[in-house]
Amino acid sequence: MSIMETLLKVQNLVKEYKNGFRAVDDVSFEVGAGEIFGLLGPNGAGKTTIIRAISTILSFSGGKIEVLVKDNRQYAEEVRSDIGVLTTDIGAYERFTGKENLEYFGELYGLSSSELDKRIKELTELLDMGSFIDKKAAKYSTGMKQRLAIARSVIHDPKVIIFDEPTSGLDVLSSQTVRDFMSHSRESGHAVVFSTHQMYDAEKLCNRVIIIHKGKKIAYDSVENLKVQTGERDLEEAFLKLVRGGEI
Amino acid sequence: MDSKHILTIWKKELRDTVRDRRTLVSMILIPMLLMPVIMLGMFKFVSEQAARQQTQIAKISIVGGDYAPQLAEAIKSREGVEIAEVDVQNYKKSVAEGEVDAVVVIPEDFQNKIAGEKAVSLGLVSKSTNANASNALAAISSAVAAFNANLLEGRFAARDVNSDILSGVTVLPEDVATEQETGGFILAMLLPLLIVMWSIVGGQYTAIDVSAGEKERKTLEALLLTPVKRVDVVFGKFLAVSTVAIISVITAISSLYLSFSYAGDLGIPMEGGSGLSMGESGGSGLGFPIEPQVALLLFVVSLFLVLMFSAVILSISIYAKSFKEAQSYIGPAYIVVILPVALVNSVPGFESALWMFALPAVNAVLLFKELFMGAYDWGHISLTLFSLVIYSVIAILVAAKTYSKESVLFGD
Repeated sequence: MSIMETLLKVQNLVKEYKNGFRAVDDVSFEVGAGEIFGLLGPNGAGKTTIIRAISTILSFSGGKIEVLVKDNRQYAEEVRSDIGVLTTDIGAYERFTGKENLEYFGELYGLSSSELDKRIKELTELLDMGSFIDKKAAKYSTGMKQRLAIARSVIHDPKVIIFDEPTSGLDVLSSQTVRDFMSHSRESGHAVVFSTHQMYDAEKLCNRVIIIHKGKKIAYDSVENLKVQTGERDLEEAFLKLVRGGEI
Repeated sequence: MDSKHILTIWKKELRDTVRDRRTLVSMILIPMLLMPVIMLGMFKFVSEQAARQQTQIAKISIVGGDYAPQLAEAIKSREGVEIAEVDVQNYKKSVAEGEVDAVVVIPEDFQNKIAGEKAVSLGLVSKSTNANASNALAAISSAVAAFNANLLEGRFAARDVNSDILSGVTVLPEDVATEQETGGFILAMLLPLLIVMWSIVGGQYTAIDVSAGEKERKTLEALLLTPVKRVDVVFGKFLAVSTVAIISVITAISSLYLSFSYAGDLGIPMEGGSGLSMGESGGSGLGFPIEPQVALLLFVVSLFLVLMFSAVILSISIYAKSFKEAQSYIGPAYIVVILPVALVNSVPGFESALWMFALPAVNAVLLFKELFMGAYDWGHISLTLFSLVIYSVIAILVAAKTYSKESVLFGD
């Protein structure tokens, strides 16, 4: 698959806390339009820190991040308009319906009423939310909340989409809906960053991956190349080898 | 600042609040219904207790009644008195154990001393911790006074002297307090502390819900990921909290004022601390209008109190990870504010100094008291308003700064 323009560029990213702990240590990668890029690593590797730094809600100590060529420190609000992030916090406003939740966020992203109506219809169909979108979020199952959270994160149709554990806690059907959505986003020319523990999903969906361990990059290549370089049959085995053995 | 974003957040938080039954109960129902019921109930209970106290029969024993039959008869014939027999050797024990409310001890030489126009001392045994002792003592004192008056009249008549010689100086009290001032006095005792309390309590639930509650529900990060500036998020939430709080304060004050105004029609006498009373049965309660300028000043000062407390509670709540944790932080803060306010409100004849009108909340209580009493000190008014504006601005800036701290927002 040919990769188009670079939409997200992370250069030499460092996040060091006051106590000297480096959560992210000199990480660089790029994500282009029309690809799903895997951000992989064990728990505590620094993946969420990287995502928060990209999305401007966490400051960072060194390096540079550009979204659609804009420096995310100088143009923080604009960058947040250009990205959509699904975090692991999938809470919703429970006294509101799913639709009202989406309308609220749509307004905050600056969508007009007509744009919002159209977009909500589109996402309701894509994420199969028709049966519950008009119900109060208090009654939602985990799967429904996850799909609503995905819709909320992309309500403004951003060019760069970051998914942090999007299939976590979902049943098989809901997981497939989410995977289909990510594929659809790629095909529509979006740059998708996919952070996950599920190596099976990563192998199926990702064009390229970066593997982070203890804040450092230990691998950065296509899935196929990683399997070849590690001599392993699947990405999970390759991942384990790399995490235990170190950088390639 | 982007007013569109602020408005969107404000509207959403208000809609969320209105859909929350608990907030509606604490914001509308309690101030509108429960507080007047409690306040008026309190007045009715106290006045009924006082009336019951006054009509309660006093049980009195007379030891040595045979030595002064006329005096004994004077005591027996008092209204509200029941004469009881006690063991003459153990009459003190009878009083201590509550068998009787008081014992009069008439000395054996009573008649001799009276006949000899010498002073006689009566023993009067009671127990101060007995609630009915005062009734007994009052009845006995009244009987003795009447006996004394008769006795002295007889002695003066025997000497062909007019008993008016004893009158000397009499006092004719006249109260020049107007109905407005009397009503103002009662309001000044009751409302200032309540207004300050509701300025805090009225918006407290909403403040916690929109800050710590967002964290607990895991919706905060999604909100911060939008292109809305941090300061706009804070301002939108702050406006929502303030709106709820001011509605609550206005509801509480209006409801109480109307209740007090019509208390008389409900047969509830409103009594002031100095024995002032308004609207005794058949009257019309407080029955005086609050002047427009007083109402306006009350509203403006209350508004700034609300703004200040809303920002403070918002700043405190965001540190918490949950609703419950936020409540545990706010509790001690509430006590720190209310204690000096309660002190200033409760001490009778509290003398205020100019510098006190710069202390938040304390200044409001002092100013409200003055306004209700019809005193307009523009120095006090200006200093109160100016200081509250400054504190409000500082509190809002602190709230905005707090919302920028990563450790506070993500403390994980």
